[in-house]
Amino acid sequence: MMELELRRLRNDRTEVYTRAVQPVLWLVVFGTVFSQIHAIPTSGIPYVDYITPGVMLQSVLFVAVLYGLTLVWERDTGILKKLLVAPASRYATVIGRSMSSGVRAIIQVVIIIPVALLLGVSFIPNPAYFAAALAILFVISGGFAALSIIVASLLKTRERFMGIGNALILPLFFASNALYPIALMPRAIQIVAVFNPLTYAVDAVRGLMITGNLALLPLDVAVIVLFDILMFAVASLNFRKIIE
Amino acid sequence: MTLAIAARGLKKVYKGNVAALDGVDLDVKAGDIFTLLGPNGAGKTTLMRILTTQFKPTSGEAHIFGLDVVREGADVRKVIGYVPQETSVWSDINGYENLLIYAKIYGLPSRSRKEVIYDMLESMGLRAAADQLVKTYSGGMIRKLEIACAMLIRPKILFLDEPTLGLDPSARIAVWEKLTSFKEEFGTTVFFSTHYMDEANAYSDEVAIINVGRMVTSGTAEELKHSLRGELIKFSLSDHRVDEHTLAQIRGLERVNSVVVTDSMLNVTVEDAEAALPGVMDVLRGGEIPVVRIATTKPTLDDVFLRYAGTTRRSGAASTTGRVEDEAGGNRRE
Repeated sequence: MMELELRRLRNDRTEVYTRAVQPVLWLVVFGTVFSQIHAIPTSGIPYVDYITPGVMLQSVLFVAVLYGLTLVWERDTGILKKLLVAPASRYATVIGRSMSSGVRAIIQVVIIIPVALLLGVSFIPNPAYFAAALAILFVISGGFAALSIIVASLLKTRERFMGIGNALILPLFFASNALYPIALMPRAIQIVAVFNPLTYAVDAVRGLMITGNLALLPLDVAVIVLFDILMFAVASLNFRKIIE
Repeated sequence: MTLAIAARGLKKVYKGNVAALDGVDLDVKAGDIFTLLGPNGAGKTTLMRILTTQFKPTSGEAHIFGLDVVREGADVRKVIGYVPQETSVWSDINGYENLLIYAKIYGLPSRSRKEVIYDMLESMGLRAAADQLVKTYSGGMIRKLEIACAMLIRPKILFLDEPTLGLDPSARIAVWEKLTSFKEEFGTTVFFSTHYMDEANAYSDEVAIINVGRMVTSGTAEELKHSLRGELIKFSLSDHRVDEHTLAQIRGLERVNSVVVTDSMLNVTVEDAEAALPGVMDVLRGGEIPVVRIATTKPTLDDVFLRYAGTTRRSGAASTTGRVEDEAGGNRRE
C-alpha cells in the first residue's frame, strides 16, 4: 500500500509541491512576523523555531485527514469493492492504507526542512533524534488517516467529506500547542488541547528536533500509540460500511 | 458434485423498504459460464455483491463451492475473483504496477510474483502496454487489465458485473476469448451479468433472467428460446386469397399454434418450423394455393428476454414464471 503511494507520486509530483505551499507560507509569513513582535513566550527559542514542528504536524494532519478523499474516490470507482473482495484481512487493508498516508506526510516534512533551515531554524544535529521525530510524524499520520477513513466510511460522498474535513483539521490544529503554549489558552480550550493527540505529537517532535527537552517523551509516545490503535480498530470495524 | 453457487431464498431489502432481491434461488455448476440477464434495476448487481461477500442478504443463504457467504466470508474471498462494473484499477500508475499492487494485496509469494504478472500481461495481450500509465489505456485494455488483476490468484470462480459494457465489438470479442480460455485452461467458473443478448447466446452454458428481484426463468440459451414455442413460418402468396376451409385445415394440424393471414402473407406460428413445414405445405398444395416464397424465423434470446423481463410490473413478472402462453412470438422483432 505504501508502495502504491510512492509509485503514484513518482508519476505525478505536482501534488507534493502544491501541498508544500501552505506550510511554507506559515513558516515564512506567520513565523517571521510573530518572531519580530515577541508576542508569544517560547521559553527562549526563536518563534520560527518554536512553530516549525507545529507546521510540520499541520502538514501531516492535512495530508492524513484528506486521505479519506482518496477512499471516497476509490469508492466511486470499483477499487474499494475489489479490495474488500480480496483475500486480505480488513485490518491489514486499513492499517496499510492509513500508513501509506504517512509516506506522503513524510515527503511534505522533508520539503519543509530546507525552508526552515533558510529561515535560520536551528535543529538539534543528532541523526537519532531526527529519525525518531520522523518516526513519530509517520505514526501519528497513520492515526489521523484512520480517523479520516472512519469519517469517509460514514459520510461516503466527496461533498459531505470536504465539509467535515476542514472542520476536523482546524480545531485539531488550533487547539493544540502547535502555534503557542497550552498555558496561554483559555481554560476550555486547554481541556480540548489535553485530549488532542496532536499536542503530544508536537511536544515529542519539538523535543527531538528543537529544544532537546524529552521529559514528556514516554507519555507522548504512549498517547500516540494508543490513539493509533484505537483509530485502527474503529476504522477496521467500520470499513465495510463504506461500500454499502 | 459441489455446486459453484447455490443460493436459496435470497432477499435483500435496502433502507426505505426497497426489495432489491425478493427470494432468489440459484444453482450454478462448477466450470460453467453462467449469464445473468435482466433489465436495469432488476437486482443483478445486488445479487453479485451478496455472492462476493460485500454485504449480507436480509434473509436466505448462499454458498460458493460449499462455503457460506455470510459465515465463511474470508474463505469465500480466497476462491473468488471479482470485476466490478466500475473501473477498478489505479489510473495514475502503469499496468504492471497495478498488477504488482494487487499481487501484494493477494499475498502472492514474492519469488513467483513477477513471472505470474508477466504471464498474465502476456495472455491478456497487454505486454507491450505494461509500462504505460493506465490513464492512456483504451476501455478494452482497462477491462483486460482488471480481468488480469482478478485472475492473479487463479480463482475457482470469476464474477464479472457487465464486463463488456461500453466496449467496441472487437474488444468484446477479445475479452470473451480470454474468459473462455480461462474456463478451458483452469476450469474457472464464470458468472457474469450483461445486457448483450448475443454474448449470453454465444458464450454461456446457462442463462438466467432476473426481473424485479426474482429469477423468472433459467436454462441453456437453446432451452429458453425453445420454451417460447414460437417459430414463425411466413408464406408469400401470389395474389391469392386463402379460403376458410384451408385455414381451418392448417389450424387443425398438430404443432401449429396460430395462423394469421394478411393480404398476400400467411403467417403460421409453430413450435418447430422444420417439423411442421411439410404438413402445412401439403395442405396448401391440396388447396391449390401457389406459394412464392417461404421464410422461417426462430426466436432470438432478445425475444426470450422481452418475454420474461419485458415488463417491470411485479404481477406480470410473477405470472409468466414457468408458463408459456399461446401468443408466443408476440414480441418478435421482424
